[in-house]
Amino acid sequence: MALLTVQDLTMHYRTKLGGVHAVDGVSFAMAEGEAIGLVGESGCGKTSVAMALLRLLPDNAQILGGEILFEGRDLVKLSEHEMRKVRWRSISMVFQAAMNSLNPVYRVGQQIIEAIQQHLSVSEREARSRVAEHYNLVGLDPKLMDRYPHEYSGGMKQRAVIAMALACSPKLIIADEPTTALDVIVQDRILRRINEVRAEFNMAMMYISHDIAVIAEVAERIGVMYAGWIVEMADTVSVFKHPAHPYTIALMSAFPSIKGDKRVLAQLPGEPPNLLAPPSGCRFHPRCPHATAECVDEAPRLEEIDKGHFVSCWHPQRRSQ
Amino acid sequence: MLRFVGGRLVQIAITFFLFLTVVFFLFQAMPGDYTKQFIMNPRIPPAAREALKVRLGLTDSVWGQYVNYVRNVFTGNLGLSFEHYPREVWDVIKERLPRTAILFLVASVMAFVWGFPLGRYIAWKRGQTLDYTITVAGVLFYTIFTPLLALMLLFVFANQLGWFRTGGFLTPRLWLTPPSSPQSIFIWLAATLAGLGTWAVLARFATRRIGHPRPRRLAQRGLVVVGVGLAGLGWWASGLGPFAWDIVWHMFLPVLAVTLIAFGGDMLLMRDSMLEVIREDYITTAKAKGLPDKVVRDRHAARTALLPLVTSFTLSIGFVVSGGIVTETMFSWKGMGLTYLNALLIQDYPMAMGCLIFTGILVLVAHLVADLLYAVLDPRIVY
Ligand SMILES: Nc1ncnc2c1ncn2[C@@H]1O[C@H](COP(=O)(O)OP(=O)(O)OP(=O)(O)O)[C@@H](O)[C@H]1O
Ligand code: SF4
Ligand SMILES: [Mg+2]
Repeated sequence: MALLTVQDLTMHYRTKLGGVHAVDGVSFAMAEGEAIGLVGESGCGKTSVAMALLRLLPDNAQILGGEILFEGRDLVKLSEHEMRKVRWRSISMVFQAAMNSLNPVYRVGQQIIEAIQQHLSVSEREARSRVAEHYNLVGLDPKLMDRYPHEYSGGMKQRAVIAMALACSPKLIIADEPTTALDVIVQDRILRRINEVRAEFNMAMMYISHDIAVIAEVAERIGVMYAGWIVEMADTVSVFKHPAHPYTIALMSAFPSIKGDKRVLAQLPGEPPNLLAPPSGCRFHPRCPHATAECVDEAPRLEEIDKGHFVSCWHPQRRSQ
Repeated sequence: MLRFVGGRLVQIAITFFLFLTVVFFLFQAMPGDYTKQFIMNPRIPPAAREALKVRLGLTDSVWGQYVNYVRNVFTGNLGLSFEHYPREVWDVIKERLPRTAILFLVASVMAFVWGFPLGRYIAWKRGQTLDYTITVAGVLFYTIFTPLLALMLLFVFANQLGWFRTGGFLTPRLWLTPPSSPQSIFIWLAATLAGLGTWAVLARFATRRIGHPRPRRLAQRGLVVVGVGLAGLGWWASGLGPFAWDIVWHMFLPVLAVTLIAFGGDMLLMRDSMLEVIREDYITTAKAKGLPDKVVRDRHAARTALLPLVTSFTLSIGFVVSGGIVTETMFSWKGMGLTYLNALLIQDYPMAMGCLIFTGILVLVAHLVADLLYAVLDPRIVY
């Protein structure tokens, strides 16, 4: 059985200028212990999807439809009280701004203990030793527990935040650009470490990044997002070897030259879409070399073109690479 | 830490010396002197005025006066007040300072006790009607012209309803044959208030370990009620109760005026500070950890948002003398502000300078205390 099934999830932000269509009809599933990646250019709605899963949306956000089935329960319908028990106990997250995720006035260890004691009935001492264990797992000296965040370096904070996400042994961890603030070598080391730990404890993981190269190493499957849609989803090898969506292909053709360069997605020809008034039909059509009249008029649906290979396009490019 | 405090104390001493010098020459630069008071008085002929000048030391050279002055201040001698001659300035201040201190301390604490939680609450409910209503009320209190507020309070509560006196420190008729001097009763009153404050804080600490919020609050309030009851009983038994009550009764309106104004400021500052903190990423993290709403608000948001409020609170204590001028005048409350204003008007230089020196000391000490408090509350600051 799938651990998580997201079905037709639609979420908008209300603004003075109108609704921002940040997540539109997004569907995907994750098995227990599976690691998937979510890629797409900046502003395509990756963080919005993650925040919707935890239902940690800003005041102006509205889930308009769809369901988020997690262990058989629809998170969209849960009461706030029930949802609080799901947060961190079942789904935890490493935030995009991990550097600022720690409260400056409390000791780092204390902030992790707080999460543990919220969800597991353990004594202060047990909680402390649990934190120490997780510090060791992510390669931090447990002695650092009693220090304040400002006494940590960037890399140390990153590891502490990851230790915090692991602390309650959740079923699913969402890592939103967990390493972007770090230099490439540290980035790589931390990412591998997370992946080892999560595999060891059979936790499912959702890596989010705008850099497909970063994710390819650790994700078993990859979902490509464009303008609030998932346009293609397949196992990592297929995405690299046989990308079918013109947007994915554009990403791939740019790929060899870009290792480490993070701005490459912005270099696609044409403007990134305006989510206040997204293009009609297929949202990629203004930038797509294969666009036809059909693409402008009607939105394609996500369809399975190969086993486990989903594409949302009227003219999927088969075996084009 | 000790080195920091030591360094700051040296710094304070130097600043204080410069301040003294400026104060002295500022007063020198003012036209006329105290004897001008008697120019129009035919019973004091010019010769007597000259003699008075000599007696008050006003004929010495400026430099001589300055050296004399600085030496005296540093040996704790503030001189004699011209107006209250031959009372010492220090003696007058000793009488007036507690009145101002109590007025502003009680008001500041009450303003904080109401402003902090209310600011926290409306920031959490931001954007709702309640938030707007209370914010507007806060802005109104904060920006209202102090004399206007004082007049309104006097009009409603003293003039129309007749609940309180229009001003002053006590009811003369009651004090025709007081069993004890008003000042000593006032000091005892101040001590009682300080004792009750300490008691309330201790009660909070003592009940901290009670797990459930309901019995904890009950225990806290119970202890406070017991404390107030005991204090009341003590006053009643001493037979001085009616006299103490008379002073409290007179204090009510000025305290209310200062409280309302300070409350508006505290609440708005807390709201702003909260709104800023709420946007921080660690608040999202706290929510994501599944912590209850109240814990996120109080333990994570309010704790950090409190910092600017504590600073403003501490620093405001330093400015009670100048801040008190208006309020004390409106309510004829003979505290430091009124004394200072009066001394300036009649050119009682030693008295006015004494008041200024105290303001200076208060401000300097308040800054030091604010720095130290900040270091205690914010681990990022290490001295
Ligand atoms: N609170 C909000 N109010 C209005 N619009 C928002 C809000 N938060 C995000 N958006 C908009 O929603 C869209 C999706 O944002 P989101 O943060 O999910 O993108 P992202 O893929 O995570 O981007 P990045 O790689 O920059 O983190 C963006 O166009 C963004 O401007
Ligand atoms: S649907 Fe049409 S416009 Fe959209 S990606 Fe496919 S070919 Fe391009
Ligand atoms: Mg993002």
